Amino acid sequence: MTFLIRTIDHTASGREIVRERMIEQDSLIIGRAAENDIHLPDLAVEQQHVRIGTAPGGMLRIEAVGTLGFSLDGRSADAATIDPREGGELALGSAILAIAQENGGPVAITIRQVEASEGKADVLRSFALASTLPGKRALSWAFVGLILIAFLAVPVFTHLTRDRIAPDAAREGQVAFDGSWSTGRLSLAHHGLEDNCEACHVDAFVSVRDSTCQTCHQDLGEHAPSPRLAHGRAPAGMGDAILWSVAATFGKEGPGACTTCHTEHEGPTRMEPASQKFCADCHASLDTRLTDTALGNASDFGKAHPQFKPAIFTRLQQTAPVRISLGDKPREANGLKFPHDIHLDPQGGAARMAIRLGHVGGSSGGYGSPLACKDCHAPNAGGIGFAPIDMEADCESCHSLVYDKVGSTFRTLRHGDVRQAQADLAAMDRAPRRPVVTGRSRPGQFARGGLYHSNFGPPVPTLVGVNRALASGGVCRECHLPATRNGMADVMPVNLTDRYFLHGGFSHAAHAQEKCSSCHKAETSKASADLLLPDLKSCRECHLGEDAVKAEVPSGCAMCHSYHVPGGPMPQDHPARARENVAIVNRMGR
Amino acid sequence: MASLPEDNVDMHAARRASDHESFLVHRRMRWARIAGALCLAAFLGYFLIDQQPRPGGGSWYGYTLGTIGLGLIVWLSLLGVRKRNMSEGRWSLKAWTSAHVYLGLSLIVIATLHTGFQLGWNVHTLAWGLMMLVIVSGLYGVMVYVILPSQMSANRKETTRAQMIEALAAIDRQLKQAAQPLGREQSDLVIAALEQDVFGGGAWARLTGHYPRCATRRALDGLPDDFTTMADNTGPEERVRVLLRRRDAQLGQIRRHLRLKALLEVWLFVHIPATIALLAALIAHVTSVFYYW
Repeated sequence: MTFLIRTIDHTASGREIVRERMIEQDSLIIGRAAENDIHLPDLAVEQQHVRIGTAPGGMLRIEAVGTLGFSLDGRSADAATIDPREGGELALGSAILAIAQENGGPVAITIRQVEASEGKADVLRSFALASTLPGKRALSWAFVGLILIAFLAVPVFTHLTRDRIAPDAAREGQVAFDGSWSTGRLSLAHHGLEDNCEACHVDAFVSVRDSTCQTCHQDLGEHAPSPRLAHGRAPAGMGDAILWSVAATFGKEGPGACTTCHTEHEGPTRMEPASQKFCADCHASLDTRLTDTALGNASDFGKAHPQFKPAIFTRLQQTAPVRISLGDKPREANGLKFPHDIHLDPQGGAARMAIRLGHVGGSSGGYGSPLACKDCHAPNAGGIGFAPIDMEADCESCHSLVYDKVGSTFRTLRHGDVRQAQADLAAMDRAPRRPVVTGRSRPGQFARGGLYHSNFGPPVPTLVGVNRALASGGVCRECHLPATRNGMADVMPVNLTDRYFLHGGFSHAAHAQEKCSSCHKAETSKASADLLLPDLKSCRECHLGEDAVKAEVPSGCAMCHSYHVPGGPMPQDHPARARENVAIVNRMGR
Repeated sequence: MASLPEDNVDMHAARRASDHESFLVHRRMRWARIAGALCLAAFLGYFLIDQQPRPGGGSWYGYTLGTIGLGLIVWLSLLGVRKRNMSEGRWSLKAWTSAHVYLGLSLIVIATLHTGFQLGWNVHTLAWGLMMLVIVSGLYGVMVYVILPSQMSANRKETTRAQMIEALAAIDRQLKQAAQPLGREQSDLVIAALEQDVFGGGAWARLTGHYPRCATRRALDGLPDDFTTMADNTGPEERVRVLLRRRDAQLGQIRRHLRLKALLEVWLFVHIPATIALLAALIAHVTSVFYYW
């Protein structure tokens, strides 16, 4: 076999010197020793390092002679077989021996020195992903800068440099980018301030002050004078005391502050009424601290609530109503005679009269059926309560005060003015005329001379007729009690209560799904002295405390009571909440 | 063993045992158990404590969870400082890493309960989102550290990175020599293949292992198999083709290595910047809460 050994050296000036020689041998030995076929003066090479011999099929066999291996095409090996036509590169120490054979010619072995591979470490560094991505440090700083500027520096700077003006829901806020600080949407009541954070958050690092709330809510009533309020509050438990001391450290105003009950950023709903706990804090054991209080202790409607104390007139001619517990079975003295049972009895005379009035279709009537509550009790605006009873509208279609007829016109006594009625009767024309009641006279009290109109008119002397209207059996005494005023006959003043509960609100509209009779036992009431108010037990059939799981309507204090106006009407939003609750409970599987 | 002092036997045995123990199972998963207990306590508190008016960062329990979470995040981010200092024993880096992983995972529970599930487009949710990004990227990192190293050593086949590059250089030298007889067009293909940077292609090519503009592959396509010269296998084109195939195979190994290494390292490019961004977002979060107190 013929080997062509080509040695390439470089002169000091960089010129290449190529030497070629042919060796006709079956195998070659390469090493540091001078007698080798190929001599490599390199200490990293052994004296006899590699033998290159022939192998079947024109292949070359390369074997390490000693214990050190060699590098073939960049890989370490001890022995290998290569095809010289494909070529191979043998590396020994700093020398590279390129093996090649072209078109059946001799196997050429080209020997050159490796150029020191500079920057090898750089190459290895290129293996890291970091070589293709921006640095972690640069990325980090970029993010930090972006976040701190957008979410901190801009809002803080614009907040500090804004004009201090009064809160104005119509204006956009002046602080830029502070929407990113909002922890949630505002309640519906405060929706107008959604983009105006500084309206409430006036000073940096100062919690929302009561005084800020009062710039808009300046007319809120006080629940009680501040010292009394503070005195009535139960001493905080250990947990609460710790929490409040922490809150005080961070500058919160304290348990009496607006924000204690009225939390914001809870989503676009109605502002939540304060929970029962806030009331119970004071009212659960109020009498132990405010010994002079008239209020009973209350902490939970289902468990601890005093019996209702409606304000009623208990004596005739009383000037102011008195509050008295329903537990004491109070009787009302309103100055009227009114048995509900007679009026509501579907088989009774009142029912027959109502039906008949319906048939007649008179201008004032039109009942057509036995009397029902609504025939006399008309809901007031908003449906929360009822309009006061009005004699002319609610009673007179049956209890007529007609005393005369002139032509086709009926003359009616003036209700509510006794002297005027007496004057009308006294001045009545004495000429005989046909009775007001037409048709056949009945026997008995409606016999001749006993006719209604002729009782107060001729032929009987006038003064007698006038007096008979107020006398026992007279028309006034049908409903009124007799009295004497300034020595003259009169009727007892009527005191009808239009608001029984002074400190609690009650909406009839919210209870529209109930019948009147489920709470008011009017059908069996024989006298107007009966107080037809439902008691605590009756309400508790549906309403129990705020966290009563089994109650049809779990009811917090705020459902009936208002904190800021204790005697005022019920807060607008509570009936709606109650109805929602009822609907939910109904849907839940009743 | 006999040469070791008696009283040191236990210590050395323990140290040797710990040498082969992953940080995931360090001390029979002590930190996993501590983190689990922390999560359980946070959960119990969340469901047993009535947070008025609704659960969130503004209730006293919310502030408590937030403070714990903030402390944990700051401590976890200190791993970067800690790992640059050597120590042994109770506060060994392995213990520290174990705690880092498991306490980091417990933040998913603690911080999410701190939010009370009130998430929105604000700086507070930004902090939560960044924290989740950090945790998820960390989780990915732990997983690839378990899975990929064996694939990596299988691909290397006992060669070093330097050897891979050296082998490629050897092929390139032969290719330069072998391509001398080729025509202009084919020479240009070979030059393009030789000149192309092994480490080029960008991060995406590394992560996917997909190099659509590989010049070596193009050169192979431009030198189609010539079946007339196949028999004697001696033509210069065939020789170049063989070398190009060898180059392609070598490139394949290097690129597989690059891909595995990229998959192994990429999470840190999310984990670290997101951690630093999280610290900034936390500063904004806490400051804004007290600024608009």
